[in-house]
Formats: sequence, C-alpha cells, structure tokens
Amino acid sequence: MGEMTPKKRALLCLTGNKKKADRVSCFDVLTTATVDQMMAVNAPFPEANRDPELCFRLAAAAWEIIGLEGFKLPFDLCIEAEALGCKLNWGRIDRQPSVETHAFNDLKDLKIPENIIEKGRFPLKHGVEERLRRVYGDYLPIANQVTGPFTVAGHIFGIEKFLIWTKKRPLEEIKEALMLIADMNVADCKEALRRGADVICIADPSATSDILSPQFFRDVMVPVYQSMAKRLGAPIVLHICGNATSYLPYVADTGFDAFSVDTQVNIAFAKQVLGDKMAVVGGVPTISALLFGTPQVVKKAAVDAIAMGVDALMPSCGIPPRTPTENFKAMVEAARCMVYV
Amino acid sequence: MATKEEIINGLKTAIVNGDEEAAAKWAKEAIAAGLDAYELVTKYGGEAMAIVNQKYEKKEYFVPEVLCAANALNVAVDILTPYMKVDKTTVPATVVLGVVEGDIHDIGKNLVKIMLSAAGFNVIDLGKDVPLQKFLEKAKEVKADVVGMSALMSTTMPGMKKVISMFQEAGVRNKVKVIVGGGPVTEEWALSIGADARPHDASAAVGVVKQLVEKLRSERGESW
Repeated sequence: MGEMTPKKRALLCLTGNKKKADRVSCFDVLTTATVDQMMAVNAPFPEANRDPELCFRLAAAAWEIIGLEGFKLPFDLCIEAEALGCKLNWGRIDRQPSVETHAFNDLKDLKIPENIIEKGRFPLKHGVEERLRRVYGDYLPIANQVTGPFTVAGHIFGIEKFLIWTKKRPLEEIKEALMLIADMNVADCKEALRRGADVICIADPSATSDILSPQFFRDVMVPVYQSMAKRLGAPIVLHICGNATSYLPYVADTGFDAFSVDTQVNIAFAKQVLGDKMAVVGGVPTISALLFGTPQVVKKAAVDAIAMGVDALMPSCGIPPRTPTENFKAMVEAARCMVYV
Repeated sequence: MATKEEIINGLKTAIVNGDEEAAAKWAKEAIAAGLDAYELVTKYGGEAMAIVNQKYEKKEYFVPEVLCAANALNVAVDILTPYMKVDKTTVPATVVLGVVEGDIHDIGKNLVKIMLSAAGFNVIDLGKDVPLQKFLEKAKEVKADVVGMSALMSTTMPGMKKVISMFQEAGVRNKVKVIVGGGPVTEEWALSIGADARPHDASAAVGVVKQLVEKLRSERGESW
C-alpha cells in the first residue's frame, strides 16, 4: 500500500473510504486564504487574486503556514462572472472580490464563448495549479474550485431577477441557462485536472435552502449537478451554504462524492441520510470557532465533528480572512491526533 | 362593475400569487370604483403580504415567491399612489436598513424591507456594501427608531459590531434599537455584540420590530 500521503488520505476520505486511511483528512477545499498568511508570505489581497506569483505563494501558504493537507484555488467566487463580462469590486486585504455589475439582461442573451477557459483569470488559476503540482509533486492534493451554476446565474443576471424568473419563466429555460453554465464549469475542471488538480469543489452558495425550495433543488439543480458529475472523472465535493438539511435526500442523488455542510447541518444526521452514498465534510464553525473562538474551542468542535463521523475535517464555510493562525492550525492538529471514528 | 369586496379579494389574491397583471387590473378597478387607495395599500396590501409572510414561515413559500408577491404589490402601489390621501396624524416608526460594508448579498435585507414596508413602517434602505459610518449618519438624520444590519458573509459580520460601537461612542445607543440578521449571524453572537435582537427571518422581523419600537418609546425619554 505504500506510505500514506496527504493526497492519498484526502482522496480516500473525500470518496467515503476513510477507513482505508489512517485518520480523517484535514484538506480544506473551500477558501484557505487569511490575512495572517498574506502577511507571512507577502502576498496580500487583492493582488494575490490577479498576480500569478503572489497567487502561487498564497495558495502554497495553506500548507506552508497553516499545515492544511492540500491546496485550493482560487480564493474568490468571481472568476466565472468576470470571464463572462461582469465588473468586479476587487476588495482589499481582508475582503474577497465581489461581483459589481451583471453581464446579461435576459436568459436568452446568455452566450458562453467557446474559448471561455482562456478568458479572464481561468489561465492564471490553471497555471498556478500546474506549478503547485510541479513543486509539490504527488504528495499533496490540489482542489480546483468552481462557482456553481446557480451562483454564477445570480452573478451574471442579478440574483433577484433570476429568482423571479424561476417562477415566471418555463423551467426548461432556467435549466437550459444553468446547463450552459455547467458546461463552462466542466470545461474549467477538465483543464484543471489536466494541469494537475486532483479534486473538484463546486461551491454553489446561492443555491441555499435559505432561498430555494427543496423541490426546486430536486427538480432543477440535481439534474444539472448530475450532468456535471457524469462528465468529470475526479472526486467532487459540493458546498452549499446555510441549513441544507432539507436538501440531504436529494444531494444523495447528485452523483458527487462529498457534501460540504455549513454549521446549521448536523453532521451525524447528514451521515445518516447520505449513508454510503456520499462523504460528509466540514465540521468546524467558521464564526464561533475559527474567527472568534480559541484553539481550545476549535479543537473541541473538531473532535465533536470527528466523533459524529465527519469524513474530512474543514471549516464549515469559506474561512473569514481575519481568522487567527493559531485557531486555523488547531483544526489541523485536531485531525492529526485523532483516528477516524 | 365589481363590488368592493371582489376588488379587495382580487387584489389580495393577485399579490399572494405574485401575479402582476392581475394586481394591475384590480388596482385600476379600484380606482374606477372610487375605493380608498390609502386603505387598499396599507390595510389590504399589508394583509396580503402578511399571508405571504405566513406561507414563507411555514415553508410553503420560498424567496422567489416572496419576491414575486412584492413585485405584484409594487405594481398596485404605483397605480394607486396618485390617488392616495395620506393620513398624517400617525407617525410610523422609522427603520434604517442596510447590508454592512464588504457584503453585497442583499436578498435578506430586501425581504425585511418588503415585510416592514408592508406592515406600515417607514423604511430607509441604505442598500448594500454600506460604509459603516453611514448607519450612524443616516439614523441621526432621519431620527431612526430602529437600525437593521445584515451580512451574509462571515467575513463581513464584524462590521456590525463596529457600527454598534459607533452608536455607543457617539452617546446615542439608547436612541435606537438595533437588529441584525443574515445567514451566519446567530442570536448568541448578536446579543454578544450588543444588538437588541436577531429575528430569525424576514417575517419574524415585523413582530420583533413592533415590540422593539414599543419598548423604545416607553423607555426613551427624548427622541433624537
């Protein structure tokens, strides 16, 4: 079987095979960048989102500074919207870029250029993934994150407009637009996997059950996700913010490998519903533990999550940039000294 | 010609169903029938949104349905407004709302605005990505009773704490009640930063704000 490396462990844990690993992985497939790391490697936001050298350094800091067992790119959720023509607010050192203007007035206007992955910051992301693979060899896993179809739709059309269309327009038109965005996601992922990524993370925060009905998730989102799963030959983690408990039965049908849950979802319950179909990852609350807690609070949350059966330990959502390093590190330490339960 | 009852029920149903065309039709019928536009909007529009509110609470409705209902209400309000004789004797409470700096997620805030406006509050919407200082400035300017802040991102939540400190430092914290909300904002955290309440969703905000305003008016000596 050979030596257990962080990459082997991560791939086992994210595909529901943690018992074949020595312990749970502590590979954060959501955002890893914090201000502390930016200062430590001299690669601050917003530049680190645009400059390949700074982007590489900040991505590597996840392992070098915090000890997270893998890398994840990019640090924001705007690459897709930007490549499709939205203007961004680039934020500042403790603030991720955000989408400022929408790109299309109507569903029918949506066109995705054939060479989309050569546009905007897609090449930068793939280039850094390739460099990470070259520098760190096969020891550590690399996650390529894409912004999920629903969230991108919100960015390019305007979320309120798009939500109203989900009621006023034929559902087929909505699905068609989401499917076009999914095609772009797939093209991005295929290139990332070719360049060195091992894992796909689909972050679709806007598809939250705080906004959408479980029926919409089942009837519209699940088929879109299934089409993505079928086309990608790598472990896929889906992240949805908020209380996704009502989605759990349908998430099981997506064909993805792991579901990254926010704090409001009980991990033991998620494990029970998803059973053998999917791994459940997350477990450490970003606000109460990582941002405002202490290393002890983080460790307690981590141990509880492991005891409830979490398959890979990571923050429950994107890491707040002001998270103290000692708290972030405490999460890794907790994973290192625990066996799976 | 439709009866008053038919018009009222038609309008309410149109709003609850988020049907803009029907809302426009019934609003025009109301004018033709000489009904009281002010009463239609404040009383029956409010009643319709309260039904929407209940459906949202019971998870029969989700955000898209609420947005459609608000649009239908707005269509009716636009048609009825020129015919409204405003009652100036009652002063509604003023609520200043905004999404804190760094955060552009404003659906939650917009829902709260829809619900509070429908319940008769005077809502001043600062929009999204609002510079923190602006909450204090606006609250002073409009003599706000309640200040509401929203954040969807854990990264921007600390801004709420800063705004509350600004009110304290300016010595005006007792002039207003502060509510906070948004996905990652827990009640525990809200109270720990000195907010007065964290309504669990937009529909709950109406009841919470009513209570807070009553409390404020009973304990606050001088207004701004």
